[in-house]
Amino acid sequence: MITIEKLSKYYGNKQVLKNIEISFEKGQVYGIVGENGSGKTTMFRCISGLENYDGQINSDFKILKNHLGFLMTEPFFFSKITGTEYLRLLGNSRGKKLTNIEENNIFNLPLNQYASTYSTGMKKKLALTAILQQGNDCFILDEPFNGVDIQSNIIIAEIIHKLKGLGKTVLISSHIFSTLAETCDEIHLLKDGELIKSVQKEDFTKLETEMKDFTIGNRIDKLNIT
Amino acid sequence: MSSRKLIEFGIPPILAYTILLLCFVGLSGYIDSKTEFAEYLYILIALGLLTKLASKKRNEFLKSCFSKDDYTKLRLLENLIIILPFALLLIYQKSIVLTSILVALATILAFSNFNTTLNFTIPTPFYKKPFEFTVGFRNTFFIFPLAYLLTYISIYVGNFNLGVFSLLLVFLVALSYYSKLEHEYYIWSFNVSPKDFLKEKIKTGLLYSTLSSVPILIALSIFFDSELETLLTFLLLGFAYLITIILAKYSVYPNEMSIPQGVLIAISLMFPPMLIGVIPYFYIRSNERLNTILQ
Repeated sequence: MITIEKLSKYYGNKQVLKNIEISFEKGQVYGIVGENGSGKTTMFRCISGLENYDGQINSDFKILKNHLGFLMTEPFFFSKITGTEYLRLLGNSRGKKLTNIEENNIFNLPLNQYASTYSTGMKKKLALTAILQQGNDCFILDEPFNGVDIQSNIIIAEIIHKLKGLGKTVLISSHIFSTLAETCDEIHLLKDGELIKSVQKEDFTKLETEMKDFTIGNRIDKLNIT
Repeated sequence: MSSRKLIEFGIPPILAYTILLLCFVGLSGYIDSKTEFAEYLYILIALGLLTKLASKKRNEFLKSCFSKDDYTKLRLLENLIIILPFALLLIYQKSIVLTSILVALATILAFSNFNTTLNFTIPTPFYKKPFEFTVGFRNTFFIFPLAYLLTYISIYVGNFNLGVFSLLLVFLVALSYYSKLEHEYYIWSFNVSPKDFLKEKIKTGLLYSTLSSVPILIALSIFFDSELETLLTFLLLGFAYLITIILAKYSVYPNEMSIPQGVLIAISLMFPPMLIGVIPYFYIRSNERLNTILQ
């Protein structure tokens, strides 16, 4: 379980997270939605310990990050490291000696090629494979479906279901509401660094309609498309 | 770009280029005194630098910025600037033929593009423990045959100093692998204490640098068995500097190396006993810096 109390984050004078209070249970999948710049990635970075913050983030683990798999929006790769070597590096970092790398290559990635030459989607799939092989208890997946082909999206959604079944805690951010609705147990809405709404599965459709109405409003009409 | 980096580092570019020129003159004098193949070595180094400017990505960007004529002039000019010191050196040594070859190659390379993102993966013996040596070897693989060739030449001409130079060249290359900062994710991901993280980095560095220098060490210890003690001293110094560079890098992470650090390392290079103080200092600072990411 991860509990966040009064989480605030400033970049200079600008407050990007405002007193966030939230908790994440084991075996649950949580969606975090919000416009660009609403604070989703910053919140993830605070949870993972990559950013300093005000407030409290507690978990069942002494050091949460050692049990956390973090899929970044844009995973970084060295210029001359192959897919296999990347997986090995991330495995080594958690003390795991990976032996069956090829067998676990569920996305059929060209693992002997340099990872930096992969497409955006392939990079994301490689980074996801790496954190799955680390044996983490918690996962933060920042935009896991972005740039990924439809077949892989289906696989990723299934992986999330599997992680839930294994009692892992999963946090996902995505702009694709349908995928979130399919995979999440709870969705939290962030706006300007504030957590403005938390919605359970039964109310996802209502949330989607509200978000659509709020986002679109009469903007399209203003275009006067004829 | 280089000037900008130097300014960020707090060094006036004019001063840096003067020092570089003096080092170039000094080093070329040293190489000249040690081997009769120095001229070929200069051409190899010059070609190595020219190929860096011939990367496809870089030149496609230049082509998009300049007209065809300006692009051609620019590429010719930068290639000629790069080879100028080497060409002057060769002219000074009355090697007119080699100078002409160098100028011709520089001209040809001005019209060539190398695709740096090759479709094939360069095999590396350092694949088990990525990433410094894995990536570094692929970027500098051509240095190793060159170093081994120098070792062969040193044995052939009976010049032990040249053999030591080839050993130092391998260590110099290994040091360069630790000069670039990695993305924070590649530190954050480790579930170990800063102490164990540094231990692992140092262990891998020492193991792989030993592996790279083994052919040189074996050959020199066989053919210059009376100089074994000197050889071991240089090997130990190589290890000590490798440890220093690894610790120096993490002692200021996530920042680049600072001027005081550079000065400390430079003094240690001239006066190795300084390392007794410098290594523990960098170690303590590295622990502090890594603690914020790892704990």
